[in-house]
Amino acid sequence: MRLTIQMLISHGRVARKMGLGPESRINMLRNILTGLVRHERIETTRGRADEVRFYAEKLIDYAKKGDTDEKAMKMANFWLTEKDLIPKLFKVLAPRFETQPKAYTRMARIPNRENLDKAAMAVLEYKGNPFPPLQTAKRDNELTLINQLLKGYREERAQQAAAKVEA
Amino acid sequence: MACRTVCQLLQHRLASSAASVRLSAADVRGQRSAVFSREQARQRSLYPRTEKIEVTLQIPGLQGTLLVMNKGVSTPHSCARHLTEWYVTSSALALVDGKPWPLHQPLTQSCSLSLLTFKDSDPQMVNQAYWRSCAALLGQVLQDAFKEDFSVELLRVPEVLVTSGAFCCDVVLDPQLDAWNPSEESLRSLTRGAQQLIHRDLPWEPLEVAPPVALEAFSHSRCKQEEVEEKSAQSPKGTVMLYRCGDHVLLSGGPLVARTGLCSQYEVTAIHPLGEGEWGLHRRAQGLSLPLQQQAHHTVWRKLRSRAEKLVEVPTASANEAISDTLTPPSAPEQTPPHTAQQ
Repeated sequence: MRLTIQMLISHGRVARKMGLGPESRINMLRNILTGLVRHERIETTRGRADEVRFYAEKLIDYAKKGDTDEKAMKMANFWLTEKDLIPKLFKVLAPRFETQPKAYTRMARIPNRENLDKAAMAVLEYKGNPFPPLQTAKRDNELTLINQLLKGYREERAQQAAAKVEA
Repeated sequence: MACRTVCQLLQHRLASSAASVRLSAADVRGQRSAVFSREQARQRSLYPRTEKIEVTLQIPGLQGTLLVMNKGVSTPHSCARHLTEWYVTSSALALVDGKPWPLHQPLTQSCSLSLLTFKDSDPQMVNQAYWRSCAALLGQVLQDAFKEDFSVELLRVPEVLVTSGAFCCDVVLDPQLDAWNPSEESLRSLTRGAQQLIHRDLPWEPLEVAPPVALEAFSHSRCKQEEVEEKSAQSPKGTVMLYRCGDHVLLSGGPLVARTGLCSQYEVTAIHPLGEGEWGLHRRAQGLSLPLQQQAHHTVWRKLRSRAEKLVEVPTASANEAISDTLTPPSAPEQTPPHTAQQ
């Protein structure tokens, strides 16, 4: 589990070990990130989602430099294995996050996989996608009976506090 | 025949001359309940033939479902019984053609129906009906709580908002009890009385009646008769709504919820003296309650309870109406309950 990057580095583990080795790990993450850019919302194991999230954010940061930037184009070319996604990255995703400085992705935990390995799963998505929201609306309603009673209670407490300050 | 009419006239005269003949509380209750049953039977006999009406449901997930029900017999409750048990147990009030309708009131024409619960997105109308029902329950408890030789007169139930923290019920006790100060034990015994009624899960049966019937039912209480006259003058059809819970008949200013079993936490918190009034020493009984679907943790309950002990200030009658017209949108339509039971 990653707490902060500093924490990871201080323990000598800069990244999770996954796949068959460092190269396999990078390839796996490239494939997942390509899927994320194509579908904008994907479901994968929790460790992989957490790991690829960092690269997904970085990729948008590079894409915001524009498609004339050499480094940005190099990064897009490397991380997107399907080359038809490069225009999408620069023309759709980069303008979408123009005003947003960071936190382009959202991760949500979902129930463990149903098959034998019971792996912990997660959903990773780019914000502003066209799908229905992951989190449903706030369930607690301000107008229910008990909340109305508590609202009256709070208002009275506030009035009493104000009266005490004045006195 | 002539003898009987004379007898009836005499009885009526004697009864309406009121306080001269003091009946016991049980007799009064029995008489009111009998009048209610008689009128209910009469209204049911208006539909001797089974006629069908079509009820369109406006419930999320069941939009536009059509139920074929019996005219003048089927109630929104019987519609709910055609759905799942959840609708039967959790619905508190019905909305017929967009107007609040008690759950046990028979439907008289084809209409659209939706069932309201405490967990809807906008439950204000149900909340207000629940508050009113809790006040009615409190009145019923007070009526039953004292010994036979102490009279209890229930006054008009003031319409209070949920945010005021407690529902209240105005009452005039026997003059012998003027010095009585309710102790904590007596409040607790009142609470126990209410809990017993809740446990019995009694329905509030609604009945729309013409003023003469209501006057007959309340012939032992001058104060209730005045209220009947005032209410019938206010309502556009000139009728008043009576409700019966067990054998207690009461007059209500708006729809009540379906049954007593919807209450879960219920406590009588205080009885405050209001000073001398028209009928004697007025007292205001207050209580706090929460429905079965929304129960409070005991820490929250203790806070709400300590607030409910304070006296709830109710604005005077004219100001009260102005407030209910302007401030509370749900109670505005309830003042004129739309009913077509009497044809």
